[in-house]
Amino acid sequence: MQLKREEGGVRRRLIAASCALLSASTGRGEEVPNSGIERALNDWSLDSALAYYHEDGRVQVIEPVVSVSKAYGDGASVGLNLTFDALSGASPNGASPSRMPQTFASPSGKSFAGGKHTYTTAPGDLPEDPHYSDLRAALGADWTLPLERLLTASFGAKISYEDDFYSGSADASIARDFNQKNTTVSLGISYEADSLHPIGGTPVPLSNYALFEKTGNQSKDGAGLLLSLTQVMSRNWLSEVNLSLDRFSGYLNDPYKIISVIDAGGDVRGYVYENRPDSRTRRSVYLDNRVAWERSSAGLSLRYMTDDWGIHSETAQLHLQWWTAERDKYVQPTLRWYRQSAANFYTPWLFDFTTPELSSASSDSRLAALQALTYGLKYGIKLRDKLGRESSEFNVRIEYYQQTQENGLPGPGALRGLDLYPDLKAILVQIGFSY
Amino acid sequence: MSRLALSLVLIIGAAVLSSGCASLGVKPWQRDLLSRQDMQLNGNASDDAIDDHLYFSKEASSGGRSFAGGGCGCN
Repeated sequence: MQLKREEGGVRRRLIAASCALLSASTGRGEEVPNSGIERALNDWSLDSALAYYHEDGRVQVIEPVVSVSKAYGDGASVGLNLTFDALSGASPNGASPSRMPQTFASPSGKSFAGGKHTYTTAPGDLPEDPHYSDLRAALGADWTLPLERLLTASFGAKISYEDDFYSGSADASIARDFNQKNTTVSLGISYEADSLHPIGGTPVPLSNYALFEKTGNQSKDGAGLLLSLTQVMSRNWLSEVNLSLDRFSGYLNDPYKIISVIDAGGDVRGYVYENRPDSRTRRSVYLDNRVAWERSSAGLSLRYMTDDWGIHSETAQLHLQWWTAERDKYVQPTLRWYRQSAANFYTPWLFDFTTPELSSASSDSRLAALQALTYGLKYGIKLRDKLGRESSEFNVRIEYYQQTQENGLPGPGALRGLDLYPDLKAILVQIGFSY
Repeated sequence: MSRLALSLVLIIGAAVLSSGCASLGVKPWQRDLLSRQDMQLNGNASDDAIDDHLYFSKEASSGGRSFAGGGCGCN
């Protein structure tokens, strides 16, 4: 009996407490609607963008990017990011233009007999596979963890999936602050492992394209080192210098790229698949400077990169930002200049099917000497919550990219007068929202 | 930029940084401008990710600001 009375008492107290809680939460709910959601949103920040990229006469890409992160009071943070790419259109296959129509097989094709697995390039045009398409999904996570007052560790991991390419990578960094946190030195390592499953199989390097010699899947992996020094130069000037070194080894070819084999008169005799060295070591120096004024800021980054394929590149990027007096809108123009020298095995064509001393050759224009310019403009609006605090941002960005090949070999014989190295022109439009 | 010029920039830069870092910088209460979003080195993460992917797929160089791996079969 005693027990039953006690149970009844507990039940009444619980009912009373529940009513009190419900009424209290109803009251708060009337004052601040969705307070639970708002609290959750206040804890997490979101950065999202949707980009549309369109190359003149070639591929187009739709790329949504979403990342969420949470910062903790002790300096720790976690983040997740998700990227999708949907790519479609025409992609250069590496062959040179010709005075004659050229017929190619799609990667999944097994002969040049007509049908859906072949395509024909008109005389004078750059050969492009018109049915190129790809979907990519990538998921990344990062975690920053303060170890001591001046020591921070960071970890990251990423996986990426395409029909013909799987990738996984991980990185770890440690950063130490000095000089009242005006100087930060960090050292990071990274590792990436990729698995390649080319559509139709992996072509035998430098094999005759007409023989359709294919093998199985391939892989490559790489490790990197990044040493970074960040320095507060003054109240409005921040500077960073990075030194990086990375080495990739394994299958580094583009399995879909071929090279034209021509005779001295410039007529096409056939094609071979490309072959690149099976390792690549890159070094780079990167310098970033940010300067702020009351209603504007500027950023200038410079990069010099070199590798053991003989490529040297220089990059300079300048962006400026101006704010309205209320700091609720800004405009940001960007200018980027890039130049690279050619890989030492780059060649726009070959003169013979069998060159015993030839170990590597590629006509991929991305390995040629080239120069590129990007002009960009971004406009952003800061949105405020009902308490007048800056809470989110909406922005729109547009970029124009133009790439021009330099020092291209003049075409012999019949190739003379053709546009062998057409410019690449592309436009990128992006909308973004962050909270 | 030639290798010689690059070496000179590196040597001079390292000398300036190693001797001058201790005298550079600001007090904690002078970080108002530095704390602004446009002064954060990774303040435009989505823009950087999309641009890096574009340049990775169209050029022979990548990375520098961060690790150079692409996680993409586009190059």
